[in-house]
Amino acid sequence: MKGVSGWFTLKGKSVNSIAYSFHRLTGIVLLLYLIAHLSFLTSLRIGEETYTAFISITVRPETLPLDSLLFLATFYHAFNGLRVVLNEFGLLYEARKVLIYLMTLLALLFWLYSTYMMYVFLTG
Amino acid sequence: MEREVLFRIRRFDGEKEYWQDFRFTARKGMTVLEGLYFIKENLDGSLAFRASCRMGICGSCAVKINGKPRLACETQIFDVGDVLEIEPLDNMPVLKDLIVDMDGFFRKHEAVKPYLIRKDDDYENPKELLQTPKELHAYYDFSLCIKCGACYSACPASATRSDYLGPAAITAAYRFCADSRDEGREDRLALVSGSEGVWRCHFNAECSEVCPKSIEPAKAIQKMRLMSAIHMIKSIFR
Repeated sequence: MKGVSGWFTLKGKSVNSIAYSFHRLTGIVLLLYLIAHLSFLTSLRIGEETYTAFISITVRPETLPLDSLLFLATFYHAFNGLRVVLNEFGLLYEARKVLIYLMTLLALLFWLYSTYMMYVFLTG
Repeated sequence: MEREVLFRIRRFDGEKEYWQDFRFTARKGMTVLEGLYFIKENLDGSLAFRASCRMGICGSCAVKINGKPRLACETQIFDVGDVLEIEPLDNMPVLKDLIVDMDGFFRKHEAVKPYLIRKDDDYENPKELLQTPKELHAYYDFSLCIKCGACYSACPASATRSDYLGPAAITAAYRFCADSRDEGREDRLALVSGSEGVWRCHFNAECSEVCPKSIEPAKAIQKMRLMSAIHMIKSIFR
């Protein structure tokens, strides 16, 4: 058996596997984010000052690229997940490759817009 | 038209794995399988690979060519390029060079009962089972599987779970479940509805991309998944 490396082996594979690998990768990123997010929220139990100190580390212009990448991972995972759900219900199976391109395009558009909105929010 | 090509073959001697290069002059129309036979007959007699029909029917010559599982007998060398990396199929233990142990693959195929199940089986007095063209078309494409293992090799779910039935076995299960003459649907659905069955598929659909017979195993799995979901809901109310 090839093991987990089989999820990320792209040599000789089609766009389906690229989408699949990115879906796994963004899923792992979102899981890590969820752990960090819940840790931040849990810090409220220690006190509001601790929570504010934590938040001040991440909500600043220098961390915008990281926030932007997180949004990219989120939108990609969401839109590609929608495609997988559709296909797994037996819908639009024949158009699965077109759907990959369409969903990736939608994810990129949402990502660019959200990054712009975050930039405006942080820079005023 | 002739030109020199390089075959980079991943070999295994039972203990260690290594790459070996073979250069030879290939002619137009020459298949990868013919190239492998040329190497075996002229360059290195110890090279081991499987082949039988040489015409895309038996499925025994499936190997990875430049990363993609394909039938060596149906792939022309010049269609791939001048450098060909040839490896054994993934997700199956390698026995020697390009030969993999397909025992587990066939056991899974056998497990889904890939044959017609009838309550009125009577071999002494056989009777004709009629079928309309529409009923035939419901499963015909899926009956063309040659069990080459290309889909199983490309499947990332099979890469991480050795108990996953895999695309070929589930396609075989669907082929018989969709057959109007069959009466064994309940037996098969019980088999493929478990965690090692259709729900393990995460729709990579690479199986459909590599299938040399274009039978779309991913489609069969999704159809089987729907059938399985209905079966599970019905079983709650029984």
